[in-house]
Amino acid sequence: MSTSKKQTAANISRLLAGATCTLLNQAASAQDVAQDTNDPKWDVETAVLYYSEKDRVSAIEPVFSATRTFESGNILNIKAVVDVLTGASPNGATPFDGPQTFTRPSGNDSYTIAAGETPLDDTFLDTRVAIGAQYDYSLGRLTHLSSGLNFSNEYDYQSISVNTRVAREFNDKNTSLSAGFAFAADSIEPEGGIPKAFTSMPEVEDDLNRQGSSESKDTLDLLLGVTQVINRKTLMQVNYSFSNSEGYLTDPFKILTLANSSTGAPEDYLYENRPDSRTKHSIYWKTKYHRENGHIIDASYRYLWDDWDITSHTLDFRYRWPLASGHYIEPHVRYYSQEEASFYRHSLTAGEALPEFATADSRLGQFDAMTYGAKYGIPMGENGEFSIRLELYRQNGSTVGTPIGDQVNYDLFPDLEATIVQFGYSFQF
Amino acid sequence: MPSTAHPNRPLILTKRDLVWVGRFDAMASPCEVLMAVESKETAELFLRIAAHETWRIEQKFSRYRDDGIIPRINNSGGATIPVDAETAHLIDYAYQCHQLSDGLFDVTSGILRKTWPFRPNSTIPTNKEVDALLPFIGLDKATWNNPDFRLPSDMQIDFGGIGKEYAVDRTLALLTAKTNSPIMVNYGGDITCNRSPSPNTPWRVGIENSKEMIELTSGSLATSGSTHRYLMYDGKRYSHVLNPKTGWPIENAPLSVTVKGDSCTHAGMLATFAMLKGKDAESFLEAQNVFYRILR
Repeated sequence: MSTSKKQTAANISRLLAGATCTLLNQAASAQDVAQDTNDPKWDVETAVLYYSEKDRVSAIEPVFSATRTFESGNILNIKAVVDVLTGASPNGATPFDGPQTFTRPSGNDSYTIAAGETPLDDTFLDTRVAIGAQYDYSLGRLTHLSSGLNFSNEYDYQSISVNTRVAREFNDKNTSLSAGFAFAADSIEPEGGIPKAFTSMPEVEDDLNRQGSSESKDTLDLLLGVTQVINRKTLMQVNYSFSNSEGYLTDPFKILTLANSSTGAPEDYLYENRPDSRTKHSIYWKTKYHRENGHIIDASYRYLWDDWDITSHTLDFRYRWPLASGHYIEPHVRYYSQEEASFYRHSLTAGEALPEFATADSRLGQFDAMTYGAKYGIPMGENGEFSIRLELYRQNGSTVGTPIGDQVNYDLFPDLEATIVQFGYSFQF
Repeated sequence: MPSTAHPNRPLILTKRDLVWVGRFDAMASPCEVLMAVESKETAELFLRIAAHETWRIEQKFSRYRDDGIIPRINNSGGATIPVDAETAHLIDYAYQCHQLSDGLFDVTSGILRKTWPFRPNSTIPTNKEVDALLPFIGLDKATWNNPDFRLPSDMQIDFGGIGKEYAVDRTLALLTAKTNSPIMVNYGGDITCNRSPSPNTPWRVGIENSKEMIELTSGSLATSGSTHRYLMYDGKRYSHVLNPKTGWPIENAPLSVTVKGDSCTHAGMLATFAMLKGKDAESFLEAQNVFYRILR
């Protein structure tokens, strides 16, 4: 090796030492930042959601969620949600050629629906406050537990629930099996009390003829799941869930029209009645795929069935598309299709024996729904993000059973359109 | 909701004579921090600081974490990606090392792993397979205009050749900001220390596959290469150190190179450079006036 080459080689070492020194000193100057990452931090997500149904309910929902990851790796999440609902929702009665007057739940007042209109109860105004805490912790390297407690409160409804879930990783952490349960106890104390099943809606100031002032229900949920890393880019998850509710499952504000057997004209309005038990099962499949170009595909499907004979299919598809400078757009399409409950009907028929159970609540009817939307995200600072989500929801119902008389002239299951706008801001401190 | 997939990775603290020994796993290596501190509480705190900094670096520069900066660059499809200050320093450093090694140290050479898996019983690739990858290697093909980094489509970078030594130095820097007590950081054989545990006893470090013990009173020691990673094919030994210019293993590369340096990152890069020199590894290090050991 020549002398000049040796000098070059020695130079390399000295220059390398200098470069390394610069790297480490610069890193040291960023030491405060790194020090911070040793301390637990809060990841905060805030959002406000506006939900607006055309001519019906609208809601404003602020959400606050804070997550702290401790040095041990355990995670605490605290969440608070407020829902403010206003507007009108269908009371269950069918439209009619003449005006219809309904007594408000309190029994002290009434509202009148114009001829030909779908009867909507505009008493609907409520504020719900929900708070919850969830704690994730580990038992050893491969077993994770998560437990939570949730409360929600509104004017006439309270709910408390607890949940625990255990997950165990196998197969080099490529497979995760999880099992969980949740138990919820709900109580309702509606304005005016609990109506007796199939009794007539009283006239204003009449005796309400109620069975009591409050009711309750208990719900037990069980979940079994498996998450599998298929390859470096694909993650698949399959869950089975079981849910059993016992107690008061009727909606005390919903009625059915007792229709004249030939004309379909309302002869009376009767309070609905549902079974006091419901058992649901669902299978959920989800796949997340990361494309080479950084795009993420997220597809899921859920099939649900229950002992009220409701079955539903939900298909959900999201595509996350990264743009320049950390922006992204995420289009979203969701399809939902539901078969009605066995006791769902648009109305009762005068002169016929009353069924054991009946409801005209459109949520238990047969319908399809599509949601189209997109979310746009903009990075804010080092760890922050602002996002806006816009979605359109359109529900198309179908009439179950044969319309009676003049009912033929009306849409017994009117379509529903809703707009959803959500502003989100997340940050770390 | 937070992901439940957050592993609670274990930290193990024991005491050997007067020194607390903290252990954890990171970067596919056993990691060890030796601390000549008084209280168990201090040792626990230091161990947590060490592990969290190391895991932070591991996660931040992981090639696999979808939200990490490396996949963002590698999946950018040729788009310009703005990077944070720490990543910028490492990119600066990668450029300097690329230049100082005359292009032999190249953070974009990782895609050669596709054809050179270095698994037992794997065969060697064809010239054609190797040549097909060469257009996608070369840091000089990227555009670096701090903080904007643009990597051409289908190229990849990773800091695998720097990350562990960098974590060793970062850990010692964080701990010596808190104490003057003797600390030694040893992540899978890449080592640094601030001073001897006591005036007359240096830290004693073994060299891989050698009976020799090296005494360390300050500074760092790093090893490049592993006696276990090579490929035998048709009676010829292929080193796992690849030449990014040819796509083929460096001829006559040592089995391993251990170098003593000011910092672990410095020592590690010198050792890597020496490996890349092949048969000239010894003469290269000889010219540096550094302590070294080479196994062939």
